[in-house]
Amino acid sequence: MIPLRLKIETDAVDPYVVRLRSCEGMPEPLANVSSLDAALATADGEKALFTGAAGSLHLFGIDPSEVDGDVVFVVPWRKTAHRLIRANSRHNTLLITERCDQLCVMCSQPPKKQHVDMFPFFETAVLLAPENSTIGLSGGEPTLFKSELFEFLRKTMKQRRDIDFHILTNAQHFERDDRAKLRDLDLSRILWGVPVYSSDSTIHDHIVGKPGAFDQVRSNLSLLCEAGAKIELRTVLMKPNAPGLLDLARFVTAALPFIDTWAIMQLENIGYGRKNWHSLFFDNSLGFDLVSKALDFSISRGIDTKLYNFPLCTVPADYRAFAPSTISDWKRAYVEDCVDCSLRNECGGFFEWHPKVHGYGRFGVA
Amino acid sequence: MKKRFFAIPSLIAAGFMPIESAAMPLATTGDGGKTKSLFDIFKLDHKYTLAGHTSHSSHSSHSSHRSSSGGTYYPPPADSAPAYQAPAPAYQPPIAAPAPAPLATLPGNANRFKEIVFQVQFAMLAFGYYNGELDGTMSPEMRAGLLRMQSDYNLKVTGTITPETLTALGIVAN
Repeated sequence: MIPLRLKIETDAVDPYVVRLRSCEGMPEPLANVSSLDAALATADGEKALFTGAAGSLHLFGIDPSEVDGDVVFVVPWRKTAHRLIRANSRHNTLLITERCDQLCVMCSQPPKKQHVDMFPFFETAVLLAPENSTIGLSGGEPTLFKSELFEFLRKTMKQRRDIDFHILTNAQHFERDDRAKLRDLDLSRILWGVPVYSSDSTIHDHIVGKPGAFDQVRSNLSLLCEAGAKIELRTVLMKPNAPGLLDLARFVTAALPFIDTWAIMQLENIGYGRKNWHSLFFDNSLGFDLVSKALDFSISRGIDTKLYNFPLCTVPADYRAFAPSTISDWKRAYVEDCVDCSLRNECGGFFEWHPKVHGYGRFGVA
Repeated sequence: MKKRFFAIPSLIAAGFMPIESAAMPLATTGDGGKTKSLFDIFKLDHKYTLAGHTSHSSHSSHSSHRSSSGGTYYPPPADSAPAYQAPAPAYQPPIAAPAPAPLATLPGNANRFKEIVFQVQFAMLAFGYYNGELDGTMSPEMRAGLLRMQSDYNLKVTGTITPETLTALGIVAN
């Protein structure tokens, strides 16, 4: 697993954001180092020393060549640097808050009450990101801090016109007045990932643990559409909502034809997803007809439909084209049986924390 | 203006209106035309739509699950000692202009670096400062070898692949 936290020591007192530059193997020393860069000075087998305007930073346990270009958030008193943006990754996500107004039965990152405002640091981080990055914003529920979020997007998108955002939100908190603010943003560069689990409001509300959530998300999806937002609908497939997947497909094609993508997602075994695994995990390798009917229906109606986090061998061959490799690099793993698989390079594999007894009835080398 | 007038009803006819907006007024709502109309909003998307949802969208072709971000930035100690409430971080002043240059990540960058490391490993092997794998990746053995080599050759001792190290090893980087 790729480490997201690095062990460091620094003489600084306050936390700060800095971009690490190792720049080895260059014909000349690095030119135009910004005040937000720290350049590699020395390295031995144990630690590397980076120096910059913020002082010196000792990095332990990882070779500096692996963090070249990474934007890190340094917390001196914890002797920790968080890799906010890894230069060679497509899966960078900023955690806006840990608060949430929903309590989903399979939440991978159960919410907490405390909130630390990280927006000033995130602004700096985005300005330092590699060219043409897509940056994820997640939580918790990012729109609980809606005005700060809009301001953050307005500022960073103006300064970095090459950057796209992918924002995960339950869409519970948009109001009609927000349309103007949304339209001020370049909405072609933002993809809003919004979860809808069922076309039956009772089931949806039960899964997200909030009465009235379905009606709210339905009306706010309209609002996002009116503003011209790009929407990725996200449906985690589980025992409670799998039987209604075809009905959901009908709902999506009839009521939400304006969405960009519909992502049907396999469950992640962490957080509440782990706790409730046995009552939630739906084995698509045996019950794929539920999925294929919904998939056939929505695709035939012109909805770009995808399967996220499905190991390819659990999906019938005809449907594998709809299952891109979606598990983020830093939490992707394969099981022993995968060694000889011809599809390994195209397959997203498993989440690192998936149980060794993977739960798929039909599984194996393809 | 005519085009604009007819475009909105045709969007409705094509099912592009959100479910609760069926009664969308066609006239602009007296804000002096500052608000973008639906026509304006969707007009911008045409290039994207015509491209068939594939060429532009870096999102869907490389979509990320992105459900959890790998934890909090102020985590309680792992050994579940009483959670230490971190003080709110000091506000970082806004970035003074000019903004830092974005990092250009050219597609070949990683490979080019690997190629250089490979050459350095080969040269160090030849000079007797390295006898590990020739794999193009930096390692503690490589760092130790570089330190010794730089010291022996009276170069600045950094343990890193500096320009003068490359010159000393007879490697041309470009």
